[in-house]
Amino acid sequence: MDKTEIRVGGLGGQGVILCGMIIGKAASIHDGKHATLIQAFGPEARGSACSAQVTVANEAIGYPYVKKPNVLIVMSPDAYTQFAPQVAPGGTLLYENELIHVDETLPKGVKAYGIPATRFAEELGRRLVLNIVMVGFFAGVTGLLSPEAMEKAVKDSVPRGTEDLNLRAYRKGYEYGREILAKAS
Amino acid sequence: MKLEGFPQKLTLKDGSHVEIRPLAAADAPALLQFYRALPEEDRLYLKDDVTKPEWLERFVALVDRDEVVSLIAVMGGKVIGEATLYRALHGWATHVGELRVSVALKLRRSGLGSALAKDLVKLAIGLGVEKMIVQMVENQLSARRVFERMGFRQEAVLRGHVKDIHGIKRDLVIASNDVSHLWEAMEALVSDFSPTFGG
Repeated sequence: MDKTEIRVGGLGGQGVILCGMIIGKAASIHDGKHATLIQAFGPEARGSACSAQVTVANEAIGYPYVKKPNVLIVMSPDAYTQFAPQVAPGGTLLYENELIHVDETLPKGVKAYGIPATRFAEELGRRLVLNIVMVGFFAGVTGLLSPEAMEKAVKDSVPRGTEDLNLRAYRKGYEYGREILAKAS
Repeated sequence: MKLEGFPQKLTLKDGSHVEIRPLAAADAPALLQFYRALPEEDRLYLKDDVTKPEWLERFVALVDRDEVVSLIAVMGGKVIGEATLYRALHGWATHVGELRVSVALKLRRSGLGSALAKDLVKLAIGLGVEKMIVQMVENQLSARRVFERMGFRQEAVLRGHVKDIHGIKRDLVIASNDVSHLWEAMEALVSDFSPTFGG
């Protein structure tokens, strides 16, 4: 089975679960794939560790838990510390590069791409669209899901009236991801 | 600041076609011409003397600094309407935006004012504005109706605060539209804690 395991990690309040939800929605509803989502959060929500596990495949998924993510998206240093060692060989790390410093705990061979997502979100007008910037970054770097599916999922997942800002945040992350990828190759 | 979704094509009630787009530096002379053509009575309701080149220079500088967002409506190469979003980028009211809409006399009641106002409201929300205000004189009934349809409600009345072209004092009505609930909904969505999330 062609399966991609994705883990999103961060602090409660960064939109970690929403990030996972959008990826799962894009895959399963708009791109015709199968997807599962598992969420885990600390007992005090905001400020505590939080993660989402998303599995995307072309066939039905029998086991939804992510042990060794092919793609790790992290938005806090604690999430990096906790999950970086688990990234699968040849996997991809996407990280908020003004909060997280990549070190030797990241397995060799894992490709790391950073984005100043919080700053981009603030420049766009709302810090809380940080996770949407990360979603766009994920889409731009991995190309796992179609841009149309991702945009539809973003639009479907955010409160009515906020679509414009969220789509701008998504596109900012996406374009940055494409640029970073082009430079890396 | 690049504003997405523009230019927009609009067909007015009388079938004429208009383009709505952000103001560019090259549009400045046409904008000045538009304001100079407005009746003096209408210009009185504006904060600045919009017939002066000095005003235009300052205005374009504000647009360049993103302190002001300006949309213009263009027909046959002429500016026939303009809508401005003023916002403070620093200080205690950065979450508030003030809207102003002006339409050429012959195009009143054509749907252009509403279209410009709607686009500006959408832009304002997209920029993260939480509360929008408009200032209108008590007898600007059409304008008041346009904004009421978009959810604006009278919040304050400043009695005898402005003088009309005849020197008669009029009340200034401040109407507002608080859209912070949209962002509160977004906050709830990114709170990362919900026992029933997705269920």
